[in-house]
Amino acid sequence: MKFMIVGSGAREHAIADNAIRCGYEVYAASDIRNPGLLELSKELFVLDILNGDAVVEAVEKVQPDVVFIGSEESLFAGVSDAVREAGFFVIGASKKAADIEKSKGFMRGLMEKYGLYGRLRFKTFANIEEATRYIDEYAGSVAIKPTRQAGGKGVKVIADLQAYLKDEKSVAKKRHVSDIVDQNLSQDLEDPILIEERVEGVEFTLQCFTDGTHIIPLKIVEDHPHAFVEDIGPETGGMGAISGVDNNLPFLTKRDYDTSFEIVEKVVCAIEKEIGEPYFGVLSGQFMLTEKWGPTVIEFYSRLGDPETVNIMPQLENFDEIVRGMMKKNVEGISASFKKKATAVKIVAPKGYPNNRDMGKGHEIRIDQKALEKTGAKLYFGSVYEKDGKLYTGGSRGIEIFAEAESVEAASDMVEAAALCITSDWKLFHRKDIGTKALLKKRHEQADLARDIFRYREERGLIGKSIDWIPGIGKIET
Amino acid sequence: MAGVCGIFAFDEIWDVSRFVYYQMLAVQSRGQESFGIAITDLDKVHSISKTGTVQETLASDEISGLKGSVGVGGVSTRAMNGYVSDDIAIFFDGSVTITEKEAQVLREALGTMDEVEAVRKFQDSISGAYSMVILTKDKLIAARDKCGVKPLVIGGVGFDLAVVASETSALDVIGAELSRDIEPGEIVIIDKNYIDEIKDPSPRKPAQCIFEYVYMSRIDSRINGYDIHEIRKKIGVILAKNNPVDADVVIGVPETAIPFAMAYANESGIPIDLGFMRTGKHLRTAIRPSQMERIRTAVRGKRVVLIDDSVVRGTTMRNIVNLLRKRGAKEVHVRIGSPKLVAACPFGTEVPTTDELIAVDNTDDEIARIIDADTFGYLDLKQLKEALGSENFCTGCMSKTYPEVD
Repeated sequence: MKFMIVGSGAREHAIADNAIRCGYEVYAASDIRNPGLLELSKELFVLDILNGDAVVEAVEKVQPDVVFIGSEESLFAGVSDAVREAGFFVIGASKKAADIEKSKGFMRGLMEKYGLYGRLRFKTFANIEEATRYIDEYAGSVAIKPTRQAGGKGVKVIADLQAYLKDEKSVAKKRHVSDIVDQNLSQDLEDPILIEERVEGVEFTLQCFTDGTHIIPLKIVEDHPHAFVEDIGPETGGMGAISGVDNNLPFLTKRDYDTSFEIVEKVVCAIEKEIGEPYFGVLSGQFMLTEKWGPTVIEFYSRLGDPETVNIMPQLENFDEIVRGMMKKNVEGISASFKKKATAVKIVAPKGYPNNRDMGKGHEIRIDQKALEKTGAKLYFGSVYEKDGKLYTGGSRGIEIFAEAESVEAASDMVEAAALCITSDWKLFHRKDIGTKALLKKRHEQADLARDIFRYREERGLIGKSIDWIPGIGKIET
Repeated sequence: MAGVCGIFAFDEIWDVSRFVYYQMLAVQSRGQESFGIAITDLDKVHSISKTGTVQETLASDEISGLKGSVGVGGVSTRAMNGYVSDDIAIFFDGSVTITEKEAQVLREALGTMDEVEAVRKFQDSISGAYSMVILTKDKLIAARDKCGVKPLVIGGVGFDLAVVASETSALDVIGAELSRDIEPGEIVIIDKNYIDEIKDPSPRKPAQCIFEYVYMSRIDSRINGYDIHEIRKKIGVILAKNNPVDADVVIGVPETAIPFAMAYANESGIPIDLGFMRTGKHLRTAIRPSQMERIRTAVRGKRVVLIDDSVVRGTTMRNIVNLLRKRGAKEVHVRIGSPKLVAACPFGTEVPTTDELIAVDNTDDEIARIIDADTFGYLDLKQLKEALGSENFCTGCMSKTYPEVD
């Protein structure tokens, strides 16, 4: 079977890797000469993966049985529709359906309209002035984001709990709103700024394949969005992720898992009602375990996550069955089966990521293959390109190191050993703390605390509710 | 004694001076004689240094006049525990000396070599115990001496700020989340594009200042993995077990000794009552005098267990005992939640000199006579270590044995 992957990063590398194990003949279309895809694919087409015509041209040359679109930007650009129209089978959401990820305004509005569990209060704004006025009127704890998916860029979560720091926080919020607009992070979206209620808690991702009716959930994965160790530093696309021995994470309960799955199910239905076509492809829920709802939706991905894919794909034992089910447009009765081992993935990025990517571009990196083999870890290539037999950084998240073991901690140690095998004259960094005992303990504590408060609220019928009392106005329940 | 703090905003939308100001308030208990605050706008370091307390002498418009996204602060019991210029600011808690000469070592090293090597070279040029924060035009560096005598913690706020401080109180006050203690001998370098944590390649046995747990740190702080309030309650339990008294009421001297007294009361079954109210600032008596008023009814006709955190010269305690007797206390039994102080501190804590310490050559009975108490009892050092469950401390002021910190 001919399998063509569209996308340029570690996610696509990991998908291609599994496709090879399924015995497929793999082809790839990428922006860059990704060394992983270069090695695995029979042919790598370097092209603009946002250009439907260019992708269709490559697809027509290959005549694949399956086109798997990994990259969200390709989905947003309508590449899946273009390839489908050309008569090929595609795993990937349509441009319309991918709005669930592209526009947080669409996603939040949908959840609101259909009264879905795990929703948050939000407002979108057409310009800086409107958003600024809102910040002046409502000086609370908020998350300020570009309405459009911007790869983690431009997200600020500002807790406004100390009255004595209110002015500083208000100034920062307003400056950030201006930055979102000035940097054009929402591109063509009408309302570029989204402000939503701030929640806090442990985050996790539930990735699913769906034919529009049936859903195949994969192992739950926990990503780490802060750039630097100790959960400090700017928001990134994710600096590494972990998963447990079983399908759930060690700090989540079965109920947390089930609730999250039900949310994904309901969203799949709601999207179909809203856009008039079934959702076909991958839908991933990015959740936070909060005291308000338990699992609460932070965002949806219209594709597999990155780095979350790299935790999943090396362990997914029946990818072939899933792909063939998707080809029949019916995945009823299929469930994903995984190796019973915990995983850790950590990303090595060049200095400059995420806020000054240009400085991190074009630096040679070296890999000590011999030493690497001894560690038992495996590398998946992200923003790294091959030129004249050498590897260079692309400025974004470079190499994702995967390891599996009996425990997350053991997998993390293997990844650390492997990280020593990657060197450069330019400064590289990764998060040593991901998967350590100390950080896992912290997650357990955070999750337990959120569940305790949630249970108290549940007993009083307060789930999902916010009750405010405003002097002169009275009680407002939302 | 001194306290340090620092903030690094990864995004220039933040002006951090007021955050640093509140951090300084939260470590003010570690020193009230002088302070310094330094903020960089990534081009130049702007600073203010003054004598007095932060709250009394730093005006709001002075704070807002300091513009920039990275900053540090220090408070001290001395004239100045630090160095400031327009390209480097250093504040420390400890016993090192930092003048233009040492600062120049750091300045030159940062200009010529790898920044970790540069910090190490600077560390080699100074001698003594320290937890310090260093501000350059675009970096925040935190470092702790090889034994970790003084505390230092790191945390963060959202996706925006990295935060360091002597105690977690200075994290809580700005809504920061504690990540962990910076380790003895560790260097943390915070830059816009990375955080480097460089552990000590040849770690030594830690020697945390044991005085922190009984006296220095705030009750709401967590340092070196210990919750101060929990430790003080444990001490109260140990005191009650080993120094029992047949009495009617337990009174604690505010603020530090309150947890000792609460736990003593709970363990012994003797009710606790409020005996004192302070007038004026809640600052340390050993550092700065403040008036203490007695609550009239708490002790009249009663046998009192009076609990305090330490006895240095005995003069304050004698006054307090006397006040209680004048309010009608039938008996006054003094119990101290820390071991005897018998020697000076070479690491920057102002324990008085040996000839000023009442415990140096007086027995418990003699001390009781001097301070006019019925009985007098200390916690002993072994019991304190038992409460802490470790041996990794500098106990110099209680044992005359000091660790090698350089």
